[in-house]
Amino acid sequence: MASEQQQAGVPSVEDCYEPNHDERSRQSFVGVFRDFTKRNMRGELERLYREEMEPAIAARGEQVPETGREIEALMENVPYYRFYSSLRYNSQEMMYLAAMDPIERVAGEMNVRGKAIAEARPTGGTLELNADVALPRYTTALDVHLAPGSFHAEYTEDDLSQAALLAYGSSIGLGANVHRAGDLGGVGRSIGHWLTQKFPDFRPRRILDIGTQSGKNLFGYIDSYPDIAAYGVDVSAPTLRFGHAKAEKLGYKVHFSQQDAENLSFPDGYFDVIVSSFFFHEVPIKVTQNILAECRRLLAPGGVMAHMELPSHSHCDAYQNFYWDWDTKYNNEPFYEKFRSQDFNELMTKAGFPAADCFTTTVPNYETTNLDEYSKYLTGELETPMHGLGGWFVFGATDQPSPY
Amino acid sequence: MNKPVEFPRHTKGKRPSFFSDPDLDQMLTFLVELTTEVSVLRDRLDTVEHLLDTKGTISRADIEAFVPEGELAEIRQAARRALVNRVFRMHGTRD
Repeated sequence: MASEQQQAGVPSVEDCYEPNHDERSRQSFVGVFRDFTKRNMRGELERLYREEMEPAIAARGEQVPETGREIEALMENVPYYRFYSSLRYNSQEMMYLAAMDPIERVAGEMNVRGKAIAEARPTGGTLELNADVALPRYTTALDVHLAPGSFHAEYTEDDLSQAALLAYGSSIGLGANVHRAGDLGGVGRSIGHWLTQKFPDFRPRRILDIGTQSGKNLFGYIDSYPDIAAYGVDVSAPTLRFGHAKAEKLGYKVHFSQQDAENLSFPDGYFDVIVSSFFFHEVPIKVTQNILAECRRLLAPGGVMAHMELPSHSHCDAYQNFYWDWDTKYNNEPFYEKFRSQDFNELMTKAGFPAADCFTTTVPNYETTNLDEYSKYLTGELETPMHGLGGWFVFGATDQPSPY
Repeated sequence: MNKPVEFPRHTKGKRPSFFSDPDLDQMLTFLVELTTEVSVLRDRLDTVEHLLDTKGTISRADIEAFVPEGELAEIRQAARRALVNRVFRMHGTRD
């Protein structure tokens, strides 16, 4: 959709990225290898647990594990689990490593083009960087997702190369995943479409995306609501530079600004839609609480807050919790498990949202859903697939009634 | 002139050990990387064979410029999966 509306005459920061023959091969292999660990090995490990380990425990008359942690303690003695973990960890490292050489070759050119686009701003989108915004310790203490440089590293003037590393590295990793392949803001597209169907009379004026990184999720919301004014905030300058350059090239008018989500510059009630995607599990609970209080302050009456996140422990069985929480220790996401242990409705009510306005739901993945049958997901006639396998888990709040 | 961008090749944070002997973690990384290079080499050979079949000659420039498409891209993807399945053959599983 977006590629059809490329702005003629606007330079692209992306088309100078040209991996050579062997680099492309290496990237393709890493994609397949990662898919092998995250699909084949994941499936076999689950079968091993559900069909062999757990029944054996029950047959001995012992209590079967009730939490992910209990399963993890058992798994540490299982060779298959050790190899699964080790290979999966390697594949995560390799997807970034496989993107580095070709990005380094063209980073100078990308940065020059990014700067030129930021100055020309053909759609009227804006990029407001603020070097005084301190990077929170939770983004700098570890390289999150094992990506060297994490979200924020800058190596030279006007640098957006870290964002290119995150974008091209993760696209290598998603290359063989049918639910994420070609993902250009699929989450935003999914929730944007859901909003238009769930609240057919909703006419939002402004949207805020928290922890927007390169803003790709906003593109989907703009496609759902072409007249909406889109704002994205993040603490990382390289991702905002990259996002702005990409948005301008694709013809999406987005206002990017470097801000800490705990303390945003916008006036009270400024936004009709407030969203984020895979954001809160990367920040400490105390920070989550502060950010949700900011959301409460910024959300206009009749607005909708919808954060896509990992499902909480209470929405999953013990094995699923064991599977998801792996990333806490092994993907440098230290707040992941703690976040998932929370009651999301309670987090929102503590931040001031009325309990009756709060919701959790799973939204159909736009890319893999038959849109002709969409209303059946809203009525409950069809069950939305679980998070990550055709659905996206969402928690949020609204005082707006829905016909569904 | 701006400084060139050089990404660090190491991740900040302690690398976990999944095995009783951490040297095994290192050995597995060597093995995965080596398997990757075998796959890269196999693709390059396939490019040479393809160019000889279709053009009758090869040059470094032709090899570098070659991008597999359509059926050939699918064949290569299947070959990568088969390679992974053979090299990472786990004992005692049903796959």
